[in-house]
Amino acid sequence: MKFSRRTFLQTSSAAGLGLAAYVALPEKFLLWAEDQGMLKPTFTPTFCEICFWKCGVMAKSLNGRVVKLEGNPSHPGARGKLCARGNGGTGLLYDPNRLKTPMISTGARGEGKYRTASWDEALDLVAAKLKKIRAQYGPESVALFTHGTPTDHFLPLLSAFGSPNVGMPSFAQCRGPRDVGLELTFGEGIGSPERLDMTQSKVVVLIGSHLGENMHNSQVQDFADAVALGAKFIVVDPRFSVAAGKAHSWLAIRPATDLALLLAWCNVIIKENLYDKAYLDSYASGFPELAAALADCTPQWAERETDIPADKIVETARMLGQNAPNVCIHPGRHATWYGDDVQRSRAIGILAALLGSWGREGGYFLATRSSFPKTDSKPFPEPGRPALNLGNFPFAGAEGVTQEIRRATITGAPYPVKAWIVSGTNLMKAMPNQKETVEAIKKLDLLVAIDVMPFDTVMMADVILPECSYLERHDALAVGKGRSLSVTLRQPVVPPLYESKPGWWIAKELANRLDLGEYFPWGTLEEKIMKQCELWGVNYQRLKQVGTVTIPDSAAPYITPLMPPEFKTTSGKIELYSIELKEKGFDPVPRYTRHPLPANGEFRLLYGRSPVHTFSRTTNNPELHELYPENEVWINADQARELGFQNGDYVTLLNQDGARSNRIMVKATQRIRKDCVYMVHGFGTASAGLKLAFRKGADDQGLITRYAVDPICGSTGMHVNFVRLEKEKADA
Amino acid sequence: MEITVTGVNQLVTPHLHVWDWRVSLYLFLGGLSAGLAVMTSVLHVRKGGALALGERASVSAVLWVPVILSVGMLFIFADLERKLNVFWLYLTVNPLSPMSWGSWGLLVFYPVSILYALATFPENRRHQLSLSILIWLSEKLSAFRLQLAAANFGMGIFIGIYTGVLLSSFVARPLWNSALLPVLFLTSALSAGAAFMIMIADQKRVKLFFTKVDIWLILAEMVMLPLFFYGQYTSSGAHRDSIMPFFTLSHDYFWYGSGLLLLVVIFPIAVVLKFLEIREEHGESLTSAELMKMNLSAVMVLIGGLIIRLSFVYAGQLSHLS
Amino acid sequence: MPKYAMVIDQRRCVACMACVVACKKENEVPPGQFRTRVLEMVEGEFPMLRMELRSELCNHCDNPPCVYNCPTGASYKSEDGPVLLKQNRCVGCKACVAACPYDARYINEDKGYADKCTFCAHRIKEGKQPACVATCIGKSRIFGDLEDPNSAVSMALRSNHHEVLLASAGTNPRVFYIKKFSKPE
Repeated sequence: MKFSRRTFLQTSSAAGLGLAAYVALPEKFLLWAEDQGMLKPTFTPTFCEICFWKCGVMAKSLNGRVVKLEGNPSHPGARGKLCARGNGGTGLLYDPNRLKTPMISTGARGEGKYRTASWDEALDLVAAKLKKIRAQYGPESVALFTHGTPTDHFLPLLSAFGSPNVGMPSFAQCRGPRDVGLELTFGEGIGSPERLDMTQSKVVVLIGSHLGENMHNSQVQDFADAVALGAKFIVVDPRFSVAAGKAHSWLAIRPATDLALLLAWCNVIIKENLYDKAYLDSYASGFPELAAALADCTPQWAERETDIPADKIVETARMLGQNAPNVCIHPGRHATWYGDDVQRSRAIGILAALLGSWGREGGYFLATRSSFPKTDSKPFPEPGRPALNLGNFPFAGAEGVTQEIRRATITGAPYPVKAWIVSGTNLMKAMPNQKETVEAIKKLDLLVAIDVMPFDTVMMADVILPECSYLERHDALAVGKGRSLSVTLRQPVVPPLYESKPGWWIAKELANRLDLGEYFPWGTLEEKIMKQCELWGVNYQRLKQVGTVTIPDSAAPYITPLMPPEFKTTSGKIELYSIELKEKGFDPVPRYTRHPLPANGEFRLLYGRSPVHTFSRTTNNPELHELYPENEVWINADQARELGFQNGDYVTLLNQDGARSNRIMVKATQRIRKDCVYMVHGFGTASAGLKLAFRKGADDQGLITRYAVDPICGSTGMHVNFVRLEKEKADA
Repeated sequence: MEITVTGVNQLVTPHLHVWDWRVSLYLFLGGLSAGLAVMTSVLHVRKGGALALGERASVSAVLWVPVILSVGMLFIFADLERKLNVFWLYLTVNPLSPMSWGSWGLLVFYPVSILYALATFPENRRHQLSLSILIWLSEKLSAFRLQLAAANFGMGIFIGIYTGVLLSSFVARPLWNSALLPVLFLTSALSAGAAFMIMIADQKRVKLFFTKVDIWLILAEMVMLPLFFYGQYTSSGAHRDSIMPFFTLSHDYFWYGSGLLLLVVIFPIAVVLKFLEIREEHGESLTSAELMKMNLSAVMVLIGGLIIRLSFVYAGQLSHLS
Repeated sequence: MPKYAMVIDQRRCVACMACVVACKKENEVPPGQFRTRVLEMVEGEFPMLRMELRSELCNHCDNPPCVYNCPTGASYKSEDGPVLLKQNRCVGCKACVAACPYDARYINEDKGYADKCTFCAHRIKEGKQPACVATCIGKSRIFGDLEDPNSAVSMALRSNHHEVLLASAGTNPRVFYIKKFSKPE
């Protein structure tokens, strides 16, 4: 083969130029593109809905794609930061398993057979069925289960329809007893976000809180600040949590005995005169009755119950007393444990009162007294029949007692419930005893689910209406009533994907079809928001830019001579001895009862949170799934060895009623007591549409077949199930 | 200690695995070609060229060098994740990077070995080169035989040792982080070269000469290997841990222990076999039985070299500082 | 010339993984791959237990083995401190991945080049903090200029006893750890 010098020179110089171009051009192109604005991102403020902290978000988009979510510095719950779940919100937006179109069931409930339908067909069907049920059974036989911002759209729809029967699991399955206990003591709850003044505390008690693993943005920020500032933490937990890892004292309490510890602490503080006498004289009533009732709750008695040495109880009580009033006792959040949960919350409130910490620095700060003017709206019709969502519980909250609705649905008493609308909550994973939920659903004429992903409960519905994610919609203005008064806007960052629609649109369309259009007298929700901003004196255009507006000078966190506290109790004072409870036939001062303990070979089932997940909401989110794809069952390492299990083995859990869980990995650890096991809640979904999460990990809710109802407020205590571990079997 | 790590890269957890058998094969073949290059220089220069007289391997061995090297280079090229960028290696000189030295060294090694092959091509067969330019080069270069032999020898040493230097420069991988490793690799490369030479040489005296050479090299390896392990054992905790795969009887470390055991068996046997070959009274030419024994011991040496490269590349990635 | 460094106050870390996700989103890290990680370590026997939480990332060493081992000059130490990579020069030989004692590097599965934390150099240019620092809920990650005596990092280092990882490796890292292993008093 011959080739000339010329061709050689030509080819080599061409190759050389090509090489130089390959080396130099991409960078030049990128610089040019940046100048042209093709690479300039836009930032849209909104707020997050991955959990219920509602952190302000600055959503960064590039060429119509949301590429990152960052915290909004103006938002008090975020302070410019987002947790792992907030950062991973794009995983929900772009999850390929999202609900894309309305769907109508073609098979039996729970079979999972659906056909796609147009919005008109689906909405017409729902409206027609609701009308039929209203005609046949009355409007009160339609119930709503809801959680989060969808509530702002579907609760007015329910009320306009004429039904009072709303059930939010956040009451009876979560915070209800905590807030009721504090309301009975101080006349108000602690709020959400909780009004804890931890950064000023000298001592912080976590009893029933695994803050850190329970990721609530600003509260964890405060927790970290408190640690760094040298606050002493007393962590009461049968498990060595992340918080316990930073604690001055970790009290590995026997589960179900927290009330004994609290009463013993009160006892020591009273006996040793460590309480804030001046504070109690000014603001509290019932001290003599309290002291008398707690006379026998000695540390020695508490040691027998709690398995915490008496001298430790005394030492920690003295820590609390000597640092009063700058002591913050975290009242917990998910407080539905053993059925005496209101009384346990009362005990926490009483302890806080003895220390004089309510309304004081380092204790609990008072809510802002400012508020926005109420917007006029058409008054809702009075329901014809009394609400059944409060049961007979004298202190059930306005959010309703979910299992009362469920019970009425099963029994038909006091009157039948024939339709459930479920939005933003996964009842199968939220409510105890899944068998009852399934039984109730069987009795319904209509089950409508409005959600973003095909969660377990959604896949049992007759009609599925796909809501778009929080990044694609407007929602009601979020009013913050923590330290200061603030308002936060949610606005779409990108238009809704697929056929999904915002909750407000779905509610309005249903309202129109139900002749309730006058209750939604605006064209789009944005119109309503704009009117509200006008009424409230908030500049809407500015709100669209900054996301959150805080009203200046609206904070009044501490008791001052000019700002005396208001206690909305019967006596107008902090009730150490609750008159209301006495009147209704309950213990006016909390009284300890010993709860059943697990037998040999059985373990109490405890559950909690992972900082990268929000219950069953996020287990399919690819960005979060890869950090924690399945839960594990924590069991004491020595116990595991005795039973013949090793780290990484797969087991199934069998509870006292014969319920068996999906396979779950063993975590044999020193970090937990021998009498209980622990797992992260929300895994083990049975919905095949959640391709990543399907059958990964075990569903703790399936093992919660027994529950202890608190007679005061109706909440369901769910820490009352005992399980055995068995080597993995085939799925039940 | 209970440790949970979130956010681990599979590539480095639970241990590093970036380099596999392709790299080991390159190390072996590269070493083999380097050792062979050294041996060809020795063959041509010894006794003023008398050893190479009439020896078939004096031509074939020189041609084998670039061939074996090319095969090895194929494997190392296959290991690159961005093969189209390979030209960047030749637009950069990074004086602190043994890999940079190596890429340049390989670039120089090729022409040196090809030029050397041309220079040592026997006059009476020159016409077999076909291309006029090759014949011309062969004529001109034969005058510089000695200088090219030195260059070839030097390049062989360089290629044989630089891979050892490369691995030993990683403070992050304690198994490799030993000053003895480059020497061990070079010795192993030379030994492999000698063994290969034994196999392809056709004259008895050439075979026996390189057998003697190989004996010394294997003996050197047999001293160096225990010294290497001893050096690691008496160094820091991480170094001590790094050699444990070789000395642990467990399912996970089966291949490392077996490999070491094989070496412990192969090298002495090879030495003894070679020693016997030297001592024996041979006839005019070697019998087929004797040839087989020679080839057997040579193959054993080659296998030993391969075992060393494979086990070190894999075991080194098990070791870590923390 | 600024001298960027990071301080990680382990006492404040709650192992929430916000940094892990924020980094991935900011830098478009492929699924299954990470530029930073969090370790949760517990020692002892029930109930006498001790916990340490630690996040790890590239240490942007002053004596970086990954840079001096790179045959194409793709890995380089920038003037203000971060160790960066010119992706178009990377040939994927993985010498840098093997050379790093901190397991900080990986091969980007989509593109084939070596990759790692860049201290979000593109954000530093705009005067922002690295993504992990910006989102750290516990304010455990602190970033700044060592040359500025009033920067957060300088103050943190002056007022706390601090360590680096694998000091014996001689890499002179730019990431410092303030740690307390046992229970604080």
